Amino acid sequence: MDTLVSLRNISKTYHLGKTTVPALQHVSLDVGASELVALSGPSGSGKSTLLNTCGLIDTPDEGEYTLGGESMLSRTSKELTMVRRNKIGFVFQSFNLVPVMTAYENIEYPLLLTGLHDAERKKRVDEIMNQVGLEQYQQQLPDQLSGGQRQRVAMARALVKQPMLVIADEPTANLDTQTATHIIDLMKDLSRRYGTTFLIATHDQRMTERCDQKIILVDGKINTHDMNMTRDNALDKGGNG
Amino acid sequence: MKWLLFAFKNVLRNRRRSLITIIITAIGSSAILIGGGFALFTYDGLKQGATRASGHLVVAHNEYFSGEEDSAMQYGLSNWKDIKQRMEQNEHVKWVIPRIQLSGLISNGEKTAIYMAEGVDPEGESRAREFLIHKGEWLSSISAENEDAQILLGKDLAKSMKADIGSSLTLLSTTADGALNGIDVKVRGIFSTGVPEMDKRLLYVDIPTAQALLDSEKISTLHAYLNDTDDTEIVSDKFHAQFPNNTLKNWEELAFYYVGVVNLYNRLFGVLGLIIVIIVFFSVTNTMSMVVRERTREIGTLAAMGTLPREILRNFVLEALVIGIIGSVLGMAIAGGFIVFLENAGIMMPPPPGRNVGYPLLVYFSGQLFVLTTIVLIGISVLSALLAARKGIRQPIVDALAHV
Ligand SMILES: Nc1ncnc2c1ncn2[C@@H]1O[C@H](COP(=O)(O)OP(=O)(O)OP(=O)(O)O)[C@@H](O)[C@H]1O
Ligand SMILES: [Mg+2]
Repeated sequence: MDTLVSLRNISKTYHLGKTTVPALQHVSLDVGASELVALSGPSGSGKSTLLNTCGLIDTPDEGEYTLGGESMLSRTSKELTMVRRNKIGFVFQSFNLVPVMTAYENIEYPLLLTGLHDAERKKRVDEIMNQVGLEQYQQQLPDQLSGGQRQRVAMARALVKQPMLVIADEPTANLDTQTATHIIDLMKDLSRRYGTTFLIATHDQRMTERCDQKIILVDGKINTHDMNMTRDNALDKGGNG
Repeated sequence: MKWLLFAFKNVLRNRRRSLITIIITAIGSSAILIGGGFALFTYDGLKQGATRASGHLVVAHNEYFSGEEDSAMQYGLSNWKDIKQRMEQNEHVKWVIPRIQLSGLISNGEKTAIYMAEGVDPEGESRAREFLIHKGEWLSSISAENEDAQILLGKDLAKSMKADIGSSLTLLSTTADGALNGIDVKVRGIFSTGVPEMDKRLLYVDIPTAQALLDSEKISTLHAYLNDTDDTEIVSDKFHAQFPNNTLKNWEELAFYYVGVVNLYNRLFGVLGLIIVIIVFFSVTNTMSMVVRERTREIGTLAAMGTLPREILRNFVLEALVIGIIGSVLGMAIAGGFIVFLENAGIMMPPPPGRNVGYPLLVYFSGQLFVLTTIVLIGISVLSALLAARKGIRQPIVDALAHV
């Protein structure tokens, strides 16, 4: 299996006045292509910081990060924006849909950025909306949708451009148990279908169980590192260095 | 197009706030358009008045406007018939009219008063100027040989002389040689200029009478009336070359009142316009700052998804553009409606100081003013959006996403 995300010795420290908070301390991690990785750990352990680093919206103080074999550090912010535009999708805890856009338009947005032509764009949006079971809700605005539906829109939005990597920071935290289970199944399903790697920060036990790789962070360090081996081709490529 | 539609939807997101901003822009725009249109109307009225009074170009003796005469008509034009003929040959010139300025004493036999007179060509003047004749008639060109010369009296001067149509009066003046001269005249009409000070002193006589009184063949000034005011400069250049030994003045140099009012109004409306532009600027900036602050998390989300800062900026600029355009168009509609209303309402303005005749209140429609105002206001809106949104897109994505 190819390594998609490779972190080496990543550290990040926040300074709050005179106190320093080490959010990540020498974290090393490998994630294979089309893997589903669960990131858990107590609050403040650095899950979000790690995801933001992998998603290229935050930069570490030190360490090496390669995505798809290319080094991601020492790039200009415009270059990083372009990598995110083409290769990375995001799913947020509170969905973060654009309220003036319909479900369809929210999902279409990333494709408008990549400049895909009209026919192909429509095909892709229709397809992914079917995948997440929202074909009935194309013209609905976000506030006309339930939480679960909104998160499905958000997932469709993250996946419509067929990214290598999807970053999901507590995607089920704002959903009830049943809806959360649906979303988890959907993620796993989509990951298989599109060969997309998912990095998911979660407190949800069921989510963790369904993932290929389980990483526990404590105080900015990787503590336990588990392989669920739910997939035949999943090999032990991860490790904490 | 898609982005403009989203911008429009975003404007509708907080309707009340957008509406207030749009209304402020609209009021600002209509205030500029109405104020500016009123100024243009005023300028045009004064300009017409000024060009009608003096003609577009005045030719005189080299010293006429600058020197002090030792005796009457010292700085008059003696070869005026020749000059007049050459002026009339210019294709832009409609008429050339001679005038004589003189003063002296007027008497009814019992009472004497000072007068200021203009010796005029009755036929030419009646074409060029409008006289408000209260009583009687305008001077006639063909004065009978054996009859007394005729004059037109200002209404207050007539009152002071206890004169009416047909009354006989005597004009006294000093001739070009310095001798005292008198001439009997008959009142043919009584007029009003609208300026009380003038009505107390002014009278009109025909040129032969004035020349006889002054015992001179000269006239004071030649007044060229053009077909089109815009040609003043071309004709002026031509006359300068043709009459190097004479002084040439254009109507603007003689229209002190016009120039004064134009300067005053330009300053007044300029400051007013600036204040309005500043108010609109702050209003839109305020709105856009609130919009940007409220949408911090949305900005973070769009940026995370790979939207470039300038693309985010574009969305806010489009939003301000929508507000600016709606506001300006509304302002134009208000101003346009007001202009049409005034045209039909026939509201009279009170007489300006020193005058006793009012004039209808109108506001001019100027396409140039409309276009310029709209461009400035929309530009201001866009600038406000740029300034407000710049702050929003500068913060780190992670911070923006964490914003509640
Ligand atoms: N912008 C920041 N400024 C200062 N400290 C920060 C900032 N962001 C995170 N931290 C600190 O870094 C540490 C790791 O934070 P992080 O958000 O990554 O934790 P987390 O595992 O995602 O927690 P949670 O489960 O509560 O979301 C915490 O101690 C946090 O207080
Ligand atoms: Mg977190």
